[in-house]
Amino acid sequence: MPYKVTEEGNISTVFLNGEIDMDVTEKAKEVILPLVDAGKEVHLNLKDVSYMDSSGISVLIESHQKALEQNSKVVVKEVSKSVLKVIMMAKLEQILNLE
Amino acid sequence: MNISESKDFIVSTASLKKVRVFSREVFEKINMPQEQKDELVLAIAEATQNIVKHGYKDIENTTDKMQIKISLKNNELVIGFFDKGKPVVPENVQHRKLDDIKPGGLGTFFIKQIMDGAVFKKDQKGWVNHLVLSKKI
Repeated sequence: MPYKVTEEGNISTVFLNGEIDMDVTEKAKEVILPLVDAGKEVHLNLKDVSYMDSSGISVLIESHQKALEQNSKVVVKEVSKSVLKVIMMAKLEQILNLE
Repeated sequence: MNISESKDFIVSTASLKKVRVFSREVFEKINMPQEQKDELVLAIAEATQNIVKHGYKDIENTTDKMQIKISLKNNELVIGFFDKGKPVVPENVQHRKLDDIKPGGLGTFFIKQIMDGAVFKKDQKGWVNHLVLSKKI
């Protein structure tokens, strides 16, 4: 799973790429969760994510909940139409921080 | 238009992308909105993921195959999933409550949202489980 991380102050932005399924969720968690654990505000940029299934949604939920435990937050940005549809199907658009 | 296509895949997370590619190729032959095709691909992917995740839980590097069969007849899409994993107890296949926000438990919910029917059949020959998803299109 291709990805890129940029840092600006206390904000880490993770640019994910491609299709997020169960085959790549462990890799995604390895990238995202240590940043959350370090107390960073993590921005997940999904503009280049063309597909996400329930396992990808689980990564978003786990990241969001861990950030809350750290008194921080995860912001999900530039969500593609197809991924937004899955987020809405899971009724998470009011739970996750979408921008 | 009638279609009947099936393909075998190794039971592995690495096969999930191949399953989506196969599904998209079949749906390209069917006249329906792209949004509906995307939903159907998601339902197929979730059912396949359930085989890998639950049917083969604690079993690594299996060489077993699963088979996916997509059929269209009289505007009814029927998608069959055959596997040789642990026998499924249909009553135990439940999704989590949506207001109980936690990772996991959404795949079956997505399938139920997208499809008209989801039934485990007992007509499998040489397989352990046979899930049939159906939808009028």
